[in-house]
Parts: sequence; C-alpha cells; structure tokens
Amino acid sequence: MAARLGNWLDERLDWRQVWEAIFLRKIPKVNWLYTLGSASLFVAINQIVTGILLTIYYVPTPDHAYDSVQYITTQVPAGWLIRGLHHWGASAMVILVVLHMLRVIFYGAYKFPREVTWFSGVFLLLVVIGFGFTGYLLPWDQKAYWATTVGTSIAGTPPLIGDWILLIVRGGEELSAITLARFFGVHVWVLPATLLLLLLIHLYLVIKKGISAVPGKGE
Amino acid sequence: MSEEKEKSEETQISRRSFLGLATWSIGGVISLGLGIPAVAYIVGPALQKAQTQNWIRIGAKNKVALGEPTLFKVKIERKTGWIVNEDEISIYVLTENGRDFIAMSNICTHLGCRVRWIDEQQRFFCPCHNGVFDKAGKVISGPPPRPLSQYEVKIENNDLFILGG
Repeated sequence: MAARLGNWLDERLDWRQVWEAIFLRKIPKVNWLYTLGSASLFVAINQIVTGILLTIYYVPTPDHAYDSVQYITTQVPAGWLIRGLHHWGASAMVILVVLHMLRVIFYGAYKFPREVTWFSGVFLLLVVIGFGFTGYLLPWDQKAYWATTVGTSIAGTPPLIGDWILLIVRGGEELSAITLARFFGVHVWVLPATLLLLLLIHLYLVIKKGISAVPGKGE
Repeated sequence: MSEEKEKSEETQISRRSFLGLATWSIGGVISLGLGIPAVAYIVGPALQKAQTQNWIRIGAKNKVALGEPTLFKVKIERKTGWIVNEDEISIYVLTENGRDFIAMSNICTHLGCRVRWIDEQQRFFCPCHNGVFDKAGKVISGPPPRPLSQYEVKIENNDLFILGG
C-alpha cells in the first residue's frame, strides 16, 4: 500500500530523484568534523519548532514580556522544556556554526568552486549572531535589559554614523517598549525569513557542488 | 572470489540498512520527545479547571423589588494566564415573597450576549438574535436552548451572596 502510494506520487512528483539527490548523493571519505553543518541544521530546526511554540504565550511588551515568560516557565505544561530547549539551543547554535566555519577554514573547503557556499555561510553566521542578540532581550529581565543597553551602546560607537545607528536600533534615545517590539519583530520575522533564504542557497550549493574531501598532506 | 565479493556486498547492504533504520528510529524518538510535550504545552492552559468558586456578596436583600428582577453588579478578580483582571458581572435577582431568591446570570444561553430586563414588557430580551425570557429566566421565544443559568444563593445578615468565580 505504502509502496503503491509512493509509486503513484513518484510518477507525478519525481520525488525519488529529489530524495536520491539529497540523501543518497556520493560523498568523499570524510570524518566526523563534516557533521557540524548537519548538527547546525538540526539545532536550527529545534530553534524553529520551539520558537514557534514560545510565541503561543509570549507577549513582547514591557508590561507582559517578563510575566508571560515566567508563566511559560512555571505554569504551562512542558513550558520549562520548550523554553529550555530554545535557550540552550541558542548557545549550541552559535558554538556549532563557529566550529563548522573553523572546519571549512582549516580544510580550505571555501576554495573554488565553493566560494558562494562560503559567502552564504558567512551571512548565515551573521544571521545566527543577530538571532542571539535580539533573542537575548526578549525575556525582559535585568540581564536582558542591561545586556541590550550595553550591546546597543556598542552599536553606537562608530564615528559619524554611530548616533544614528543607536537611534535606529533602539527606536529612540532609550531602551523602551519600541526596542522590545522591534527586537521581537526582527527575531521572529526578519531573521527567520533571511535564514530560510540563505539556508536554501547554502544547502542547494552543498548538494549541487558536492563537498570537498579531507585535504591530503602538502595539499 | 566472486562469492567473497558477494558476501562483502551483502554485509555492506545490511550495514547500510541498519544505519538507515537507526537514523529513522532516533529521528522518531526525538520527534516524539518534542512532539508530545508540544501538544501538552499547547492544550495545557485550555484544560485547566475553572477557578475555585467563592461566595460573593452582591448587595442587601431588601434592595430586591418584589416580583421584579433587580440588577446587581459586582466586581470580581479573575486570573487569566499571567494577568489579573477585575471583571464586572451582572446578576438579576428575583423574589416573589421576600424570602426565596433566585439569582440569574445575564448571559444569554444562545451565544453569550448579555440580556436586558425590559420593564414595560416584563421580559428579558437578548439584542443579538431576539431571544426572549420571562422574569424567572424561562425561554419564551427565539433560539436560546436553555433558561438563563442560576447561581446558588445564600443570605447572611440580610446580605445576598452568590456562589461564583
């Protein structure tokens, strides 16, 4: 039955071809360091699922943000688990993508013909850091408030345009309801959309161009 | 030679299918490990029991006119999620003899609009879909499926109390 359904769909969608291209493609003999990209993807999926779940209760305004996070953590069944996965997943994400990047650097895997894969990866790293920076404010506790005060102040240090950047990032002179709302909007709409687009390019290129082998001695 | 080759191919295939099965199993365990808590997380607050009911003082019993539904409004605190709200609830109280009281909710049993007592016609009217109730809350006409709900009433020191929350 399942096989017949699979055949029926394959005749119409050619999904087996896609499946083979993605999961049954030929790869050189590699080592465990080559799993760091997949590990990042796995944690990214975890962040997407738990992040969507958190938005069901989280409210991004100064008078509700902290209380709604406390409500999720202490009152909602498994809320501590969902928030915990998102919280620790965020740290794991940063660590994994940095390690992934280091592997690519040390093995010289960014070279021809994989430069565009590398570029998309660099932008993905920036997106991940953006996720970390905007997500850190959302619990709206003391740590979040002062970390973002410091972080946005650093964004205001460049000469000439610094003051202007600070105003745009904070949505005003001070950290306020506007800051919280825009950080939330960036965290759940702007960055996910960017991440998805870059991820598709990145994965398409990884599959299309194949991955590089472990470089030999003297290479 | 060829036999040996076949054998090694066979072990390769079983290794491949073993790893495939292991991948699917671990993926399944992770999906369930997140999926089941996710369902609990989403439905949890919806399944929480209503708050405990308390006796609420709504006013003096001699304010109730004989044979005429009299409106009482009381403010009660309700906690929803992380927010504590002060809600106003309206209760129509009716007594025919000054000793037995019935307290009715003003919430229409059709779709939850608020009914009003119209003195001239001696009826409760619902503005939404023309539900009509008599002064004891029985349905006279329109779509409401049940009479107006009643609160449990008690009297202490000439004060009326209802059981609600």
